[in-house]
Amino acid sequence: MLLLTRTPEAWHRLSQLKATALPGILGGKALHLRCRLWSRQGSAETGRQSQPQGPGLQTRLLITALFGAGLGGAWLAVRAEKEQRRQQRRTEALRQAAVGQGDFSLMDHQGQARCKADFQGQWVLMYFGFTHCPDICPDELEKLVQVVQQLEAEPGLPPVQPIFITVDPERDDVAAMARYVQDFHPRLLGLTGSAEQVAQVSRSYRVYYSAGPKDEDQDYIVDHSIAIYLLNPDGLFTDYYSRARSTKQIADSVRGHMAAFRSVLH
Amino acid sequence: MAAPSMKERQVCWGARDEYWKCLDENTEDASQCKNLRRSFEASCPQQWIKYFDKRRDYLKFKEKFEAGQFQPSKPTTQA
Repeated sequence: MLLLTRTPEAWHRLSQLKATALPGILGGKALHLRCRLWSRQGSAETGRQSQPQGPGLQTRLLITALFGAGLGGAWLAVRAEKEQRRQQRRTEALRQAAVGQGDFSLMDHQGQARCKADFQGQWVLMYFGFTHCPDICPDELEKLVQVVQQLEAEPGLPPVQPIFITVDPERDDVAAMARYVQDFHPRLLGLTGSAEQVAQVSRSYRVYYSAGPKDEDQDYIVDHSIAIYLLNPDGLFTDYYSRARSTKQIADSVRGHMAAFRSVLH
Repeated sequence: MAAPSMKERQVCWGARDEYWKCLDENTEDASQCKNLRRSFEASCPQQWIKYFDKRRDYLKFKEKFEAGQFQPSKPTTQA
């Protein structure tokens, strides 16, 4: 297009070339006729006699522009439809994952049965650890709770549910969890269960844990992966935060996810 | 055995920090810090003592490594 508008003379020569080369080809006659029609129309519009054989420059530009716009429009429409289909497939996949992924069946620190669906519609920050943990778990839980406190102090933000899941079901029964969580936050929910239930939820969230050897007091340390998980109100795993992330970094990230969130369930 | 409460944890961490500070000041000479070691052992579960001892070793090594003072043992020339 740009080239054609810049060099009308070249275009003119080209159209002459076409007109002489084409007659042999099928439909060439019709093209000739149309050309002549255009040329008459064109010269009548512009009132010039210098280009009797081709259509006027403006007309040619118009036709080219229309044709180009038509092609462009068609391409855009096809692309938009493709993108829409891709988005639909993605939403469907996410919806399935939201319902099935990371489900669990555990007991909270008040003895009430809990599964993942109970937290639908809420943002969840989740940490795996154990109550006999010497330093890392309390530090990480403290950090998690500070994030929750920061966010709940900001008006207009949805509340975040803090959850602590034990990887030491042997010692961390409902009573032990109740004693432990009360030190951190009034809304912190402690979840425990049978060895199988804990193994299942840990597998779902790719959490590794391994109890160390017992000493004479039957005490032991549980080695485990350290990460804070963020679930969105659809129950989808949204982000995770390693130990190196500060309270502020996590709070900023959660805020960003909240602003960008669109539910796939409705 | 119940897990230490938050208060008990803080007492334990405090005793640990005092003992570690003493070791820092006395270039790791534990004989200079016997009283603080006893208080540390009295304030924390036995399992935690073992854990914190190992953790200090690790942190010291990390410090040295990051300062570029760590020299890896020379590989033996024998096949």
